Amino acid sequence: MEKMLKKFIQNATRVAPKISKKGELFELRNGLVSQYPQTRKDAIKKTIQQMTLGKDVSSLFPDILKNIATSDVEQKKLVYLYVMNYAETHPELCILAVNTFVSDAQDTNPLIRCMAIRTMSMIRVDKILEYVEIPLRKTLQDDNPYVRKTAVICVAKLFALNKELCQELGVLEDLISALEDSNPMVVANAIAALSDIYEADESVVPLPKLIQSHVSQFLLALNECTEWARIIILGALAEYTAKDSLEAQEIIDRVTPHLQHVNAAVVLASIKVVIKNLPQVQANTESPIFSKLSSALVSLMSTPPEMQYVALRNIRIVLEKYPHILSRELRIFYVKFNDPLYVKLEKIDTLVRLVDPSNLKQCTLLLAELKEYAMEFEPEFVSRAILALSQLGVKYSEPKFITKVLEIIIELCNTRDSFQDDCLVAMCNLLRHAGPDQEGMVTQVCSLAEAWSSVENLLQTDYAKCNYIWLLGQFPQKFNNVERKLQASIDSFTQEESLTQMSLLISVVKLHSILPGSMLQNLLELATTSTDEVDVRDMAIMYWRCLSVESSHDGLINELCNSSLPEIATTLDTFSPELLETLLRELSLLSSVYFKPVSTMTKPKSSSGNHLKGKQLDELQFMAQDEILKNMNEDNLLDFDNDWPAASNSNYKSEAQGSTVDYLNDIFGLSSPAPPVENSMADLSLNKKDEKQKSSNTQDLLDLF
Amino acid sequence: MGNFFSSMFDRLWGVNREMRILILGLDGAGKTTILYRLQIGEVVTTKPTIGFNVETLVYKNLKLNVWDLGGQTSIRPYWRCYYSNTAAVIFVVDSTDRDRMPTAAHELHLMLREDELQDAALLVFANKQDQPAALSASEVSRELNLVELKDRSWSIVASSATNGDGISEGLDWLIDVVREEQM
Ligand SMILES: Nc1nc2c(ncn2[C@@H]2O[C@H](COP(=O)(O)OP(=O)(O)OP(=O)(O)O)[C@@H](O)[C@H]2O)c(=O)[nH]1
Ligand SMILES: [Mg+2]
Repeated sequence: MEKMLKKFIQNATRVAPKISKKGELFELRNGLVSQYPQTRKDAIKKTIQQMTLGKDVSSLFPDILKNIATSDVEQKKLVYLYVMNYAETHPELCILAVNTFVSDAQDTNPLIRCMAIRTMSMIRVDKILEYVEIPLRKTLQDDNPYVRKTAVICVAKLFALNKELCQELGVLEDLISALEDSNPMVVANAIAALSDIYEADESVVPLPKLIQSHVSQFLLALNECTEWARIIILGALAEYTAKDSLEAQEIIDRVTPHLQHVNAAVVLASIKVVIKNLPQVQANTESPIFSKLSSALVSLMSTPPEMQYVALRNIRIVLEKYPHILSRELRIFYVKFNDPLYVKLEKIDTLVRLVDPSNLKQCTLLLAELKEYAMEFEPEFVSRAILALSQLGVKYSEPKFITKVLEIIIELCNTRDSFQDDCLVAMCNLLRHAGPDQEGMVTQVCSLAEAWSSVENLLQTDYAKCNYIWLLGQFPQKFNNVERKLQASIDSFTQEESLTQMSLLISVVKLHSILPGSMLQNLLELATTSTDEVDVRDMAIMYWRCLSVESSHDGLINELCNSSLPEIATTLDTFSPELLETLLRELSLLSSVYFKPVSTMTKPKSSSGNHLKGKQLDELQFMAQDEILKNMNEDNLLDFDNDWPAASNSNYKSEAQGSTVDYLNDIFGLSSPAPPVENSMADLSLNKKDEKQKSSNTQDLLDLF
Repeated sequence: MGNFFSSMFDRLWGVNREMRILILGLDGAGKTTILYRLQIGEVVTTKPTIGFNVETLVYKNLKLNVWDLGGQTSIRPYWRCYYSNTAAVIFVVDSTDRDRMPTAAHELHLMLREDELQDAALLVFANKQDQPAALSASEVSRELNLVELKDRSWSIVASSATNGDGISEGLDWLIDVVREEQM
């Protein structure tokens, strides 16, 4: 009797859910297992609230899970939300939810059926997936289209989590038959799911065949699905080659409206599909589709800077295929003062590429614009602008215009400190294009260089020094005392980099008849014995040979020295035709940012991610016991902070953050020294930059001389 | 705020209060079958329970929250997650499964040692009595060593979930005990 009284008082006084000393988690746990349904529901809400605030309430998992079996839909939703969020931290406890998932998948309420199947196929716990078969099959055949539409997506999710199981269950066949579903949303999701699966593994679904037999369904689905599904479907369509020009035209017509979507990814994916089909319809440049493509590309420039950057990289690819596509939109790409540097640099590149070389007015406008950029402060930006000036000069190609460009550069060279390297390279590029007949220009450049007092200290980069020496070798009559100038470089030969070494070698050989023999002898010796550059050594040996047979074949060396240079036609780098085609097919993918085809990037192992996933049952059991014991001891948040799941969680987060940072750095080249902008554009072509550095150096030099 | 007052009201007057009852036992003992016989009065076809079933039923004016937990070896470790605030445990034994009587006894005594269950009443169903090979209730009681239990209200009832024998009899006993204990 006394016991009963005590209990009564206890119950009566525990009315208010006050926060006891034991802490919030303790209170929540008590609430979750209360004998009163309303109290339990309140506690669930509070727990979810804490969860959304970012507090770790994962230790309440078992107690929350007890509330999953309820007829109250709202409460069920909350519990599902919680389970989805924390399933990965408590894979072993998820098994307790299986029975409920399975029976919920047969609930009379379609919303609950959806929730159950969606959650089941999302949780990365093998033990749960084992039981997914029956619910998945049932929901794929559900009477309610909303449920079916959810179930088809779940097949793709299951595939991502456990490919073998997915194939074993044979649900991929169900997915394919869903293409014939009477409800367009189900069809759309089935297509998205199939495309997603195809992207992960091309061998499991015959997507190209399916597209061929269902083109109209695919095209119609675009209007029925969410934007992310749309991107996936567009990606699949871009892989498909239309069977004739009629079909290609139909695809273009259906996809065109999506060029105006607000989501930049949808726009890029649509552009990709249109471009893929353009060759088949033989559209001429006046056709309206080009102006639609153009305005789609322009619309991408009103996005945040990160996306602008991606857009600019993609535009670079499109421009190479269709150089005139944006020629009316020059102004859109003008640099804004608040653009981040990486956007500014890309914009300059785009400007020079898209300017129409037959349009004097436009080129003059751009010239004025670039000149302003060259007066800015950020060194990288200024360097890039100077390079662009010369690129523009070469592109427009008319002597008067080039003279104008040259004057601007000379002025910059004289007025701005520390840009002599860039200016010299730019001027030499102009000279190489204009040819030796342009006496006036040659004199201007040479007298500028002649006036420099100590060139060795003035010029910093290998590329600039190489150009300077080329100038000496090419126009010796324009300089006083070429011999002394060359001798200074020979003295520092061993400290120079490969381009300068090579250039020096070529110039000295070229001028050997007017230079003292000992100088040549000295340099050839240095170049054959004191350099690690194989190309330089080979070249030196070759010259030596030529010179030593000179007596008998007098003509050979003279021919070598006096041959005239080819005019360079462009200083803009280009992709190889194969690379261009590949990149066009991969627009909007990461490869379009790196200019590297997906196939050359290493794919991450498909089953990466959750380390808990493949745990054996006994291991899970052990973890569960551990977990339960621990939960019993934790009474407040303070204790909880020292608890291992929390700790490992935060580790995981910081790791993830680290890798994101790395990733961003990779994209924007922030951590690694950015490639020197003053290098020639040929050097910038990313695809050969790394592996072929050496041979491309040689190539550059061969181009030079 | 409304919810807050309504839960306060519930507590003050003991309205809407639910009594937690657990149904435990080895796999295949008939727990799920018993739960649904209580709930809908019929025999349902069952599959092994991976996790749990829970049903709320009103029996003799008392709201019962009945939890049927899976009995497979892999699920037994999680039983303890459900012990707190439990008024009574129904332990179901397959009386024909002589081989596993020691296992059942072991699990039973292990469970009863838990702090959280010290106040819980115990009802044992010696189930599947419709089968000829079934041990009698007193035989099962001996196998389970029930006489050893001290300081606990307990009872064993011979039952058959399929034909309904003994089920309400056992539950009547349990409700009386629990009602008294809870006041
Ligand atoms: N003959 C007979 N069969 C029974 C009786 N009770 C249950 N069964 C059968 O025993 C089998 C298992 O019953 P369940 O209720 O699923 O067993 P359970 O205890 O829930 O098993 P788990 O969920 O795996 O722990 C089923 O085929 C039932 O039809 C009974 O009293 N007599
Ligand atoms: Mg069961």
